[in-house]
Amino acid sequence: MSQKTQGSRLEIQGVDKFFDNFCALKNIDLIIEPGELVCFLGPSGCGKTTLLRIIAGLECQSGGLLRQGDTDISLKPPRDRDFGIVFQSYALFPNMTVADNIAYGLRSIGVPKARVRSRVDELLNLVGLEDHARKYPAQLSGGQQQRVALARALAPSPGLLLLDEPLSALDAKVRHHLRSEIRNLQKQLGVTTIMVTHDQEEALAMADRVVVMNNGVIEQVGTPLEIYQQPASAFVASFIGAMNFIDSSPLNGQRVKVGNRELDLIRPLPSAEGAVRLAIRPEDVHLLPCGDGEWEGEVRALDYLGAFIRTHIRLNDVELDLVVDVDPRSARRLGLCVGGGICLNLPSDALHCFAA
Amino acid sequence: MPEYDPGKPSMIDSHVLSTPATRSWPTLVELRRKFAGRWVFSLLLVTGCAILTLLVLAPLYTLLSKSVENKAGEFVGLENFARYLSSGGIESAFFNSLWVAGLSTLVVVFLAFMAAWALTRTRLPFTGWIRGVLVLPILAPSLLPAISLVYLFGNQGVIKDWLFGAEIYGPIGIIMGSCFWTFPHALMILLTAMDNADGRHYEAATALKAGPWRTFWTVTVPGARYGLVSAAFVVFTLVITDFGVPKVIGGQFDVLATDIYKQVIGQQKFEMGAVVSVLLLLPAMLAFIADRYVQRKQSASFTARSVPYKPSHDRKRDTVGALMLTPTLVFIFAIIGMAIYASFVTFWPYNLDLSLNNYQFGRMDGGGWGAYGNSLQMALGTMVIGTMLVFFNAWLMERTPQPRFLTGLFQFLSLLPLAVPGLVLGLSYIFFFNHPDNPINGIYGTLFILMLCTITHFYAVSHLTAVTALKQLDQEFEAVGESLNASRWRVLFTVTLPLCLPTILDVALYLFVNAMTTVSAVVFLYGHDSQLASVAVLNMDEAGDIAPAAAMAILITATCAGAKLIQGLLRSWVDRSTRPWRQGTE
Repeated sequence: MSQKTQGSRLEIQGVDKFFDNFCALKNIDLIIEPGELVCFLGPSGCGKTTLLRIIAGLECQSGGLLRQGDTDISLKPPRDRDFGIVFQSYALFPNMTVADNIAYGLRSIGVPKARVRSRVDELLNLVGLEDHARKYPAQLSGGQQQRVALARALAPSPGLLLLDEPLSALDAKVRHHLRSEIRNLQKQLGVTTIMVTHDQEEALAMADRVVVMNNGVIEQVGTPLEIYQQPASAFVASFIGAMNFIDSSPLNGQRVKVGNRELDLIRPLPSAEGAVRLAIRPEDVHLLPCGDGEWEGEVRALDYLGAFIRTHIRLNDVELDLVVDVDPRSARRLGLCVGGGICLNLPSDALHCFAA
Repeated sequence: MPEYDPGKPSMIDSHVLSTPATRSWPTLVELRRKFAGRWVFSLLLVTGCAILTLLVLAPLYTLLSKSVENKAGEFVGLENFARYLSSGGIESAFFNSLWVAGLSTLVVVFLAFMAAWALTRTRLPFTGWIRGVLVLPILAPSLLPAISLVYLFGNQGVIKDWLFGAEIYGPIGIIMGSCFWTFPHALMILLTAMDNADGRHYEAATALKAGPWRTFWTVTVPGARYGLVSAAFVVFTLVITDFGVPKVIGGQFDVLATDIYKQVIGQQKFEMGAVVSVLLLLPAMLAFIADRYVQRKQSASFTARSVPYKPSHDRKRDTVGALMLTPTLVFIFAIIGMAIYASFVTFWPYNLDLSLNNYQFGRMDGGGWGAYGNSLQMALGTMVIGTMLVFFNAWLMERTPQPRFLTGLFQFLSLLPLAVPGLVLGLSYIFFFNHPDNPINGIYGTLFILMLCTITHFYAVSHLTAVTALKQLDQEFEAVGESLNASRWRVLFTVTLPLCLPTILDVALYLFVNAMTTVSAVVFLYGHDSQLASVAVLNMDEAGDIAPAAAMAILITATCAGAKLIQGLLRSWVDRSTRPWRQGTE
């Protein structure tokens, strides 16, 4: 389609936000490239929605600078900024038809009637709601309402699209479907998009880059693969996916001590002194038949989760509990059963280590 | 595009301030943003605050200061209060008011609770009609039940013997009359509280083998407790501040409300009127504060989404419900029926032929049809101006960015009238607007001041209704509007107003009906050319023209019923034409 717009570049520099004495955002620096889809991901209360509202101008930063393209927008009210927004509740105007909702932004800037009509048709096509133009929001399903909200936000061709938990009010099936739909639409239009979500699966599936936030600071910015495979902090490691943590104390060089055992790491230790937390994903632990591996343990419980089996293993000599994901075929080969013995290796290339 | 380097100081603009780790005051950036484009709304709300200060706070202040001044306007401290105390006013009027209001409250809340229970917990037929009849008294001036009671139980009453020789002129009459006109207020509060019942609580009680009696005491009553408390406070305040009923049927029995009237109209002792007003203000204020406190608690306990309760068919329970409704229905029919009948009787009790003689108001004192015309004008003006003022201010408060202290101040000023009895408000208007130094004292004695006073008198409830409706709209409408380049004004006219139309109609009707029926606030303020129908009822009754008084009361009631009918038609038209908006959500 020929309606590819130029998404804007967004710079956030040193943004702080205080609510009374509570610090909601601390010195946020971030650059979002044109056409990118970036997800703000984090637990509730981490500041992700506040940051989005500051970008929209609905909330004012306590300090710091915002720049969209070449313009400094730090002090501009929302009306003078160039963005479209979709809220969790959609906030569709219930007294207007789908077409009138989509046309709302065009009419406020005085676009000629004929142009409004053709643009509305264009957007209805884009989100696949051609047959519902005359209906009211209450007559649509949740997924359809979501699409209307998206079309309304996109109608004035903004350089920046802001999505505030846009899928969380929908049931799982619709959510999965809309996920790829939004992603395709965004790619097709080339609009720079920021999406706030607390759903890590959603963030990993949709984003070009993920911004993981916690307690008002950015913990890590990276592609989904980077934040999954190279978490920058223990928080990111535990928040994204499942992770086993193993307490250890550092020895000389890249050796650490776990219980009465010593381990070699391939990465340098985060700090020379103090305890170190090792981390390994459940799918990275190698299970081996008894007597073959470095560690010996006992299977405590097995959870069948469809495509894989989550195995809870107790390493007796170091008093450590591990969670290991095994595919059903390997599980059969190893003869996994509750109470049975098992051996395992912790591959050093899969071991992360963080300062404790 | 220049490369961005976060470490380069030249990129940092002048308005980027370094922020300390914690602080509680806004930074310069926030202040600049807050101010830009928002000051218009704040200025408007400041204007709203100023208007309410002029209409409530300033008159009240004048009244309070009058109570500590002598006739010459010199400060005398509590001397006036001491004088009132020594005259025995406290023992008689103050305590009379308290116990009469207390007893009326008990009776009304009990009856209203029975009625609300029967309407929400049984499956009686025609509940729509029954509800309609039960709230009928709200359309009548409070003088109407008093007049009816005179015809029923007075010296020449139809069923005088039913009182076993007791006098209707006095506490019995006041309590009966007060029960009549305050009943709908209590009923509506309790219906709201009990309509919201959670069906799962009843299912849980049944599953835990609780019988109907235990279920009633452990589920129904606790669920309605906030409604009960609220209804009690409202009824108590209404009765203690009402002037119409005790004026007509109180006889020699003194209450605070009639005492104010006597001091001011009878003896021209304005400063003593102010003293009694302060005494009347105290219980009303206390009830108001207590009610606010209780309601704050209620909103905190009202969170989870519940499954609406549907009563099952139960012959026995339905019969109990019917028995509970019967006495109240009979009482309401008797009072209204008696007033209608009496208004058509040619000359009670000697000539019982029906005629329209009593409706020829031109022959009596009290202002006649002119007063009725004035009332209509005043009520329409109150409705139009009041609805616009209330709604616009509520919108400013709820849907525009405002500093917190300003919304707090406005909320306080708009709820304050709820605590000020009508008589007190009216008297303070005399002091304030009739003061020779007041630049707008020219409005004294005109219909306009009656309108202002009535708007103020009924501001609080209208304000609460409007705020509730505005709160229910999606909080992000304005934000979406801004992102789509639409100003708050455009969102107001294209979204907010259309969505609030039913509420606007409700507020309009509320103001119209109250402006038609009110006596207390306006009784001090009408002038020669601004007599009102409700005041005419009072004056004709005082002059002994009780049948024309009944006729005028019926005329007022019929007018209000007509307004209600028109409003009902408008509402059903709005509901019909907006049904597609609501589909699925309601």
